[in-house]
Amino acid sequence: MTNPVPAPPRSMTDGPAAVAVPGAQRRAEFLRLLVQPVIVLILTVGVLVWAFRRDLTLTQQASISVGNIAEVTWQHILITAAVVIIVVAVAVPLGTLLTRPGFRGLAPIFVGIANIGASAPAIGLIVLCYLVTRTTGFWVGVAPIAFCSLLPVLRNTILGYQEVDPTLVDAGRGQGMSSVQVLRRIEFPLAVPYILAGLRTSLVLAVGTATLSFLVSAGGLGILIDTGYKLRDTVTLTVGAVLAVALALLVDWLGALAEQFLGPRGLR
Amino acid sequence: MRITRWLRGLAPVAGVLLIASCGLQSGGSVPLPVGPGSIVAVPALDGVAVTVGSKDFTEANILGYLIEFALTAAGANVRDLTNIQGSNSLRDAQLHGQVDIAYDYTGTGWINYLGNETPEPDEVRQFELVRDADRAEHDMVWAAMAPMNNTYALVASRRTAEETGVRTLSDYAALIAKDPAAAATCVGTEFNVRQDGYPGMARKYGIDVGAVQKQIVQDALVYQATADAEQCRFGSVAATDGRIPALDLVLLDDDRGFFPKYNAALVMHGPFADAHPEVAALMAPISARLTNAVITELNRQVDIGGREPADVARDWMVAEGLVTVG
Repeated sequence: MTNPVPAPPRSMTDGPAAVAVPGAQRRAEFLRLLVQPVIVLILTVGVLVWAFRRDLTLTQQASISVGNIAEVTWQHILITAAVVIIVVAVAVPLGTLLTRPGFRGLAPIFVGIANIGASAPAIGLIVLCYLVTRTTGFWVGVAPIAFCSLLPVLRNTILGYQEVDPTLVDAGRGQGMSSVQVLRRIEFPLAVPYILAGLRTSLVLAVGTATLSFLVSAGGLGILIDTGYKLRDTVTLTVGAVLAVALALLVDWLGALAEQFLGPRGLR
Repeated sequence: MRITRWLRGLAPVAGVLLIASCGLQSGGSVPLPVGPGSIVAVPALDGVAVTVGSKDFTEANILGYLIEFALTAAGANVRDLTNIQGSNSLRDAQLHGQVDIAYDYTGTGWINYLGNETPEPDEVRQFELVRDADRAEHDMVWAAMAPMNNTYALVASRRTAEETGVRTLSDYAALIAKDPAAAATCVGTEFNVRQDGYPGMARKYGIDVGAVQKQIVQDALVYQATADAEQCRFGSVAATDGRIPALDLVLLDDDRGFFPKYNAALVMHGPFADAHPEVAALMAPISARLTNAVITELNRQVDIGGREPADVARDWMVAEGLVTVG
């Protein structure tokens, strides 16, 4: 590798941390990998101890019980997981297709559609999805959030392929690889760090927006937040909000781990 | 020289600020003119400045305008502060004397404002309890309770009601015991945990909460989802909502009298009520006419018919002969 990949701008299309990082930045990243789970643990334990040690009214007990908190947190995790699976299953193949010769012209159209998803208010999409399907439940809550979270992965997949040095592709072709082989053995592995960076952004976005999926009976931590807000019950509201923050940090940490260990070995 | 130029430059700015300060004063004037009808000019209220408030939903707005038109017809100088965002904001504004008079609900007063968890089943007794406690604790005056009771209720679509034969909450409890799948229920987040909501109702009617197929959805979706009767066969609603007749939903009878009474009544800031005892007397005939049927129809005209709350309020008052189109 004589040509280092230029570091992309730090924004929605965030470049992979593993690409051409100086030693100090690498150490900081390593430290963050250690500290972040500790913060998650402190936040979770802290807010639960704070809540359970209070004198809760009967109304609060209906929300703040071990069973209920475990249930809504689990629902939240399931929603997030489903969103991620949908996003990966749609955005990565789509991004791959849109960088193949002959399909490149279509890229602006699909990025535009994903842009609509990213900029449309999630609450509006969720309610629209209900009004169109006239059904409630898990998938009606998940689909709009997946649409909202599509852009970072799609954009980064396209970017990842675009950043592959053309000389490497030529070298592969020169060795007699077919275009599928070049894609599988050269282009895709080099694009993986970008895809993972996009996925991390999507994940955090999904955890946040999943607090709205309770609107259509998909459950999640949004139940605690909405209940607390409507009843002016700060305890329930805080438990829901802090747990959602902790979950977002945890998911972000898992994404960082994935970036560390799933990227191509030569770039680590 | 420099200073005069500076001042000259400042003059238009000051002028704009002066105009803006008038325009930006909170509250507005009464939106429609009215003249006296069976409500006639009251000399003691002539030119008295009164600020009328309301919460931020359809029914609250309509009730707020009823007060405004009545007081205007009686000769008072009314300032409009209806549509205050969030139920608790109106209460705070009233406690601080920023709003002189508004309609509120006895159950809300008893449970939310005075912090009780168990309501009183009798409407009049509930009103008296709130009236006495709020006067003693916060110097707020409750008066002229209306028959309308905007309490929680369970509804079913007409088809569900006919198929299952469920007409009362006791029937509903029996259906859950027999066939929980036929009684899937959609509830809002708040109703789901309130002691005067689902948990308390389940205890009173002996419903096994674990057996209920309960879905938590946004309050506004409950109406349509229950009307569709696909995933929600029953739903929790506010009893006087205009969407109940519009979507042909059937209210289940609370046959054991569990739900708290949310009768509308006037709430006035103590000093205002003491200075103007005529106001309660003036409003009494209006409150007396506000039954659930009347207010549900007025709500329907706004929520389904798309009319303005002020128009609906004035038209009703004119039709009742209380005021005339001024």
